[in-house]
Amino acid sequence: MRNLGPPSEIRRLAAPLSQVVDWGWLRMHWWIGILAAFYCVSGITVVRPDEVAVILRWGHLVGDTPALQEHGSGLLFALPKPIDQVVRVQVRHIWEVQVSTLNASSRMLEERSLDPLRQGYALTGDQNIVHVEMVARYRIRDPAEWAFYGPKSEDVLRAEVTSAMVRSLGEMGVDRVLSDGRKDLIEIATRRAQAGLDASRSGLELSSLELTRLSPPAVLASQFDAVQSAFIGAQTQENLAQAYAQGAVPQAQAETDAAIQSAQGAADSEIATARGESGVFRALHEEYRANPAVVRERLYRNALDRALGAAGDVRWVPPPPVGGRYHGFRITLNPPRGVNPSLDVNGSVSGETTTDSISSSSAVRPSSGDETSPDGNDQ
Amino acid sequence: MVNTLNTQRGLRALVGTLALLAILFEATALVVAEGHAVLITRFGRPLRADIEAGLHWKLPWPIDQAQVLDMRRRVYETGQTEMLTRDKKNVIARTFVVWSIGDPLQFTQAVGIRNAPVEAESKLDGLLTNAAIGTLGSHDLSALVSTKPSDLQVDQIEKELLAATAPMALQSYGVKIEQIRLERLALPKENVTAVFDQMRAERRQFEAKYQAEGEQAASKIRSEADLEAARIRAKGSEEVARIRGESAAKIAKVYADAHRIDPELYRFTRSLESIDKLVTGNTSLILRTDSEPFSLLKDQEKTQK
Repeated sequence: MRNLGPPSEIRRLAAPLSQVVDWGWLRMHWWIGILAAFYCVSGITVVRPDEVAVILRWGHLVGDTPALQEHGSGLLFALPKPIDQVVRVQVRHIWEVQVSTLNASSRMLEERSLDPLRQGYALTGDQNIVHVEMVARYRIRDPAEWAFYGPKSEDVLRAEVTSAMVRSLGEMGVDRVLSDGRKDLIEIATRRAQAGLDASRSGLELSSLELTRLSPPAVLASQFDAVQSAFIGAQTQENLAQAYAQGAVPQAQAETDAAIQSAQGAADSEIATARGESGVFRALHEEYRANPAVVRERLYRNALDRALGAAGDVRWVPPPPVGGRYHGFRITLNPPRGVNPSLDVNGSVSGETTTDSISSSSAVRPSSGDETSPDGNDQ
Repeated sequence: MVNTLNTQRGLRALVGTLALLAILFEATALVVAEGHAVLITRFGRPLRADIEAGLHWKLPWPIDQAQVLDMRRRVYETGQTEMLTRDKKNVIARTFVVWSIGDPLQFTQAVGIRNAPVEAESKLDGLLTNAAIGTLGSHDLSALVSTKPSDLQVDQIEKELLAATAPMALQSYGVKIEQIRLERLALPKENVTAVFDQMRAERRQFEAKYQAEGEQAASKIRSEADLEAARIRAKGSEEVARIRGESAAKIAKVYADAHRIDPELYRFTRSLESIDKLVTGNTSLILRTDSEPFSLLKDQEKTQK
């Protein structure tokens, strides 16, 4: 310093400074040394687990590839301040932004029309109007790009998500969007928004897109509800019909099965009866072959007994006089015990009767005339 | 003592040198951080734009002056402008651009230094709006919103917009337009009422359609079920008839097999059975006393007398 400039002036001006330096050095030269050492290691820093850090050396990004640029969590050795600058980026944190550009405020919902400058909405592919409100969640994917060149996260995200949603809605019909197409819509819009974010080199990644509102204009809400309930009503009708069908067919099946079973049962029992009867007949035949006259007589007598026992009225009439002819002979039966009073078998029995018995239906009206029943025998 | 004095002198020299070097460095060094550019002017005349980040040098003030520019990309949304499509439909469209400084020199000259981004964006707005009016005017509305994918031409429209604005923006303002996209599409207030009416009519139509379809589907299911049930029942009746027929045939055979042994006996037993069936409680029998079995009784009476 002594060699520079006009010596006397400088020396006089620098005298207090050199005194301070001298005095300081004499008293604290160790401390200065320690401070200098501290300065040299001041670039060493700790990167927290949710961060990555990039180093700017003289303003220039250190490293050529993202892998070399980004330093993960742990100790980071950087040079002291004016040379290196450490930029930390929270890459694991998920940020959230609400996108209301396509939503109308509730105050204006009942209006007959919509002012596009004040109320947000989007047009669907079939030129219907819907309101959309979205929540986009994103994280930083490329720290260096995002930190130094990318546009402001919220600005670019809002614009890209809105644009993606407008385009995605513009290619779908309103009914699809409001019913089963909602998932598709979100998927397509997310993909498109991510493509936009990549094209803008924002360094951002859209981790999820959520629709907090997707609805037709409020003035038309009741009409949309009516369609919805008509749709549900149609499904209910169909379900009821299905239930009916599921009842009717098995019931018919069950009834049919029962009818077949009972027919089968009846047939089996009839066959069994037939077998039994034919067995009886065979047995009788065996007996008959041995003693035809006796068996015949016995059967005949048995039948006669049964007939006499079963008949409601048995009358005995004397045989006709010799010559074999009844004449003016009339039988009056007692008032009917049964039904059929109309039947009129009121007449003379005439002619050669060689039969053993004359059976007559009952219910013969008592007729006037001679009562000739010499051997009337009421059972 | 001499040693101490020498140390003191050396120290003073060191501190002085360091201070001088720091001043020199500050005056001549330019640290350009990532995302920035520096425009150097020599006596007010633009000299160079050191865009590359890193350490650069300049002559000290007042010879050279450095102007730091923010090279970060920005998003600008245009105003909402009403325009006419090719099929004469009024729409309100808004686009957004992603832009950055492409030519620092041109940018500073055209836009200035103070409040540069806002100035640049207000200059871009007119350019973008004009391009949008021109481009949309050569497309139908169905190119923007349609359920038919073949109609949609948004990608092409965005490309046309980019082609219409990017060269001009770079040339005139030093602004590099990287992306241009349709952000919003709406209808003028007056047209919304008509759209509402149309939507209302469409809803009514859908409501009727769903109702009719539901009824139709339900009655179809019901009649199919009825038909199926009837088919099952018919099959069942057929089966029952078959069983009856078979059993009748079997029974007939069983009887025939038995009766064939002695038809005469069969006839006899059958007649007796017929008598059993004929004579019931309602039957009156009129018998001659000389017929069996009374005749026998009479004979016995006679013999007893």
